Amino acid sequence: MPADEQSLQFSDVNDDVVRSLVETGRNYYIALGVAIFVTLACFFFPWFYQLRYGIAAAGNNHPAVWGTYLASFIFWIGLSHSGTLLSCVLHITNSEWRKAMYRSAEAMTLFSLLVAATMVMVHVGRPWFIHWAAPYPNQMELWPNFRSPLLFDVMAITTYLTGSLIFIYMGSIPDFAAVRDRTTGWRHHMYVLLSLGWRGTDTEWHRLGWAYTFLAVLIIPLAVSVHSIVSWDFAMSIVPGLHQTIFAPYFVVGAIYSGTAGIVTVMFVLRKYMGFEHYITKLHFDNLGKLLIVLSLIWTYINVLELFTGWYSGTSTEYEQLKYKLFGFYAPLYWEMILFCSAVPLLMLSRRIRTSFFPMLLISIAVNIGMYTERFLIVATTQVRQYLPDRWGTYVPSLVEISIIVGSLAMFTTLFLLFVKIFPSVSIYEIKETMDAPKKGKSEWQATH
Amino acid sequence: MARFAAGWRKYRKPGYYDEFDYAWTMSIDLDRCTGCGACVTACQAENNIPIVGEKGIRNGREMQWMRVERYWEGEYPNAKLSFIPMLCQHCDTAPCETVCPVSATYHNQDGLNVQVYNRCIGTRSCAVYCPYEVRYFNYNDHHWPKPLDQQLNPDVSVREKGVMEKCTFCVQRIRQAKDHAKDDGRRRVVDGEMQPACVQTCPAEALVFGDRNDANSKVSRSMNDPRAYHVLEELNTSPSVVYLKKVDADAG
Amino acid sequence: MASNALGLFHDPESALDAAGRLKDAGFARPEIMSPIPIHGVEDVLGPKKSVIKRFTLFGGIFGGLAGFTLAAGTAVLYLHPTGGRPIIAIPPFLIISYEMTILCGILATVLGFLISARFPAIRERIYVPATAIDKFAVTVPCDSGESYGRAETILRTAGAEEVQRIGEDGP
Repeated sequence: MPADEQSLQFSDVNDDVVRSLVETGRNYYIALGVAIFVTLACFFFPWFYQLRYGIAAAGNNHPAVWGTYLASFIFWIGLSHSGTLLSCVLHITNSEWRKAMYRSAEAMTLFSLLVAATMVMVHVGRPWFIHWAAPYPNQMELWPNFRSPLLFDVMAITTYLTGSLIFIYMGSIPDFAAVRDRTTGWRHHMYVLLSLGWRGTDTEWHRLGWAYTFLAVLIIPLAVSVHSIVSWDFAMSIVPGLHQTIFAPYFVVGAIYSGTAGIVTVMFVLRKYMGFEHYITKLHFDNLGKLLIVLSLIWTYINVLELFTGWYSGTSTEYEQLKYKLFGFYAPLYWEMILFCSAVPLLMLSRRIRTSFFPMLLISIAVNIGMYTERFLIVATTQVRQYLPDRWGTYVPSLVEISIIVGSLAMFTTLFLLFVKIFPSVSIYEIKETMDAPKKGKSEWQATH
Repeated sequence: MARFAAGWRKYRKPGYYDEFDYAWTMSIDLDRCTGCGACVTACQAENNIPIVGEKGIRNGREMQWMRVERYWEGEYPNAKLSFIPMLCQHCDTAPCETVCPVSATYHNQDGLNVQVYNRCIGTRSCAVYCPYEVRYFNYNDHHWPKPLDQQLNPDVSVREKGVMEKCTFCVQRIRQAKDHAKDDGRRRVVDGEMQPACVQTCPAEALVFGDRNDANSKVSRSMNDPRAYHVLEELNTSPSVVYLKKVDADAG
Repeated sequence: MASNALGLFHDPESALDAAGRLKDAGFARPEIMSPIPIHGVEDVLGPKKSVIKRFTLFGGIFGGLAGFTLAAGTAVLYLHPTGGRPIIAIPPFLIISYEMTILCGILATVLGFLISARFPAIRERIYVPATAIDKFAVTVPCDSGESYGRAETILRTAGAEEVQRIGEDGP
């Protein structure tokens, strides 16, 4: 137990969390205002322009029909794999160090999924008909094509979104109850509804414990399947570079990797700006750093495998793809990806770096930049270099696309900023479980009788 | 129970159809083809394909349902040019059909890979999955300023932005031919009665179109030519377009 | 007059001790309210059956069958042969039913939780806000003033800081 937690009382935890919810400083409002403005200006405004004038606003052409929107979609889904999956796995293994950070990590999952859903709407050519991808009875008597990998996507992401929402909500019910007692006005009414009348009886704890464990056990295979299914959007094609069986593990590992780096970034921000220094400690960063190293090594291994199979195949189109990736038009991006995702994380082998907050922030941002590049390269390099050399080309994202990417990041930030003021962003009761429980002592009555 | 078993067998059959009504096939004789591009122009005229404009072409957004691919070998003055007209191959095991989330593309009983414009929501996965890259996406709305709108073919729709399109083997002409045949007294479409615009226009008669179910059709005889091959055969897409290899007098 | 005796404790061991003594003294099953789940409750007060797992199981099975029926049924309703594949293609439909299994399992677990923990609480129930912070409470129903006195003695002996008498429907 870290030294600075010895003097922490149960009541301090409640105080800190309620304070984080209720007290909003000027900096918060400025940050929220900037985030909302950037979302509107950089996401919605260019998107409406694109809705009016067509996907021509993006840099897509023939052959590169998929672009940064889909790469961003994959990236955000990948980022979502951190929170809920990690939280569930660490719950099953009874890890102590998860308790301080998992609430915010799960929130990250939820918002990443929402942003990913909007990226789909931006990507599609006629988004006003996107509801046709959902199975609902209609007068055309048409149903979506369930044989399509994109439909597996729809089902998987709907399930994951529902599951994540339920999971974060269930885990928060006792916290809503604790916060309900100390707030007034609209907050109080909201928490009364959200806490469902939770009282903390042993029966309720027992039921919650079982339900939570079942949910965690269900969500782990779900999360693994979601990103596998997303990878099969690519892998079920027959074009070189995409048609690879390694894609499912590659994407899942990449998702957990990029998501864990995202957690590190979010933890740094929470710690610094929400007053949670006691709860999010060097221990957490140390453990996250170790996880990142392992994932980075696995990711590097899978990349080496891809290079090997491309080279080993001889003069096939796979080899051509490989040469193009390494030495073609996008080579600087490829090597930047290798630098940020394979080389820079090796710095975390040093314990000193793992337990220093600012270097970890920088490494986590570098990892996510590298992982975004990876998604972009998968989309860009494989489309512009397929079987027929007449159709080789290049793809450069347009200003509208770059603006929408920035806007999606701002949208995520906005959602997260709203979250920290509505949800208790650190789990009160789980933190108390890591602290020493009050010791048995003599009551006044016992002393006098 | 027996009905269930029969239904199960029917729905588990790969490709569903026991046989195609007409198995429309095109054969392209590369020896006859001069690369003149008349087929490209005819297709554009028949199917209301938009003129993308210079800026669009520079951005790589050309719309050519039928295109002539050119491959140069060597340097001037010993440069050699090979060319091949490429269009939708109407594969029997088309990779593009499985991936459409809203079933906007499917295989009909004539063996054609059909694109339903009003169902398409523009995910563009079919274009990624197509190894021949013959699918074209409408990146923006297209305009035919007056009086160019007079040249539009009334039998073919004008696609709005966000919709995927590709060669249909001039399905409007196929439909018309079948209707005429039916009106004529329930007969079958005769070989040569109907031709897509490209086949009709080709001055070298390099393009032949017909029903490969009919053993006497011109296209069936082309398929028996020893020069016959399919592009990207190793991908097992079972295309309906047969190419007849150009006999190269200079090679080896 | 029917009422409840509520004792507030400083630490979980005392609360468990009190609850065990109340049960031994013949009272109905006491309820322990706490800010964190306490270990050892089942040893003192007897095991609890969890009906949630049945919900999850049946939800999962239903989801699996429903998923496959959805995919295969809709494929048959409007025949769209694609890509040389059969109309009822097993690997894609198994993926759909896998996702539906998990979705319905999750929803069924939530339903089971709500039903078995009797949420949401419509009527007022006994509650002390201090138990959400750092106090542990033990409550037990008493049907008369005399039994309340006995309960109060047991609670104080076990180390309660405070004992309250609360009416039938709450404070």
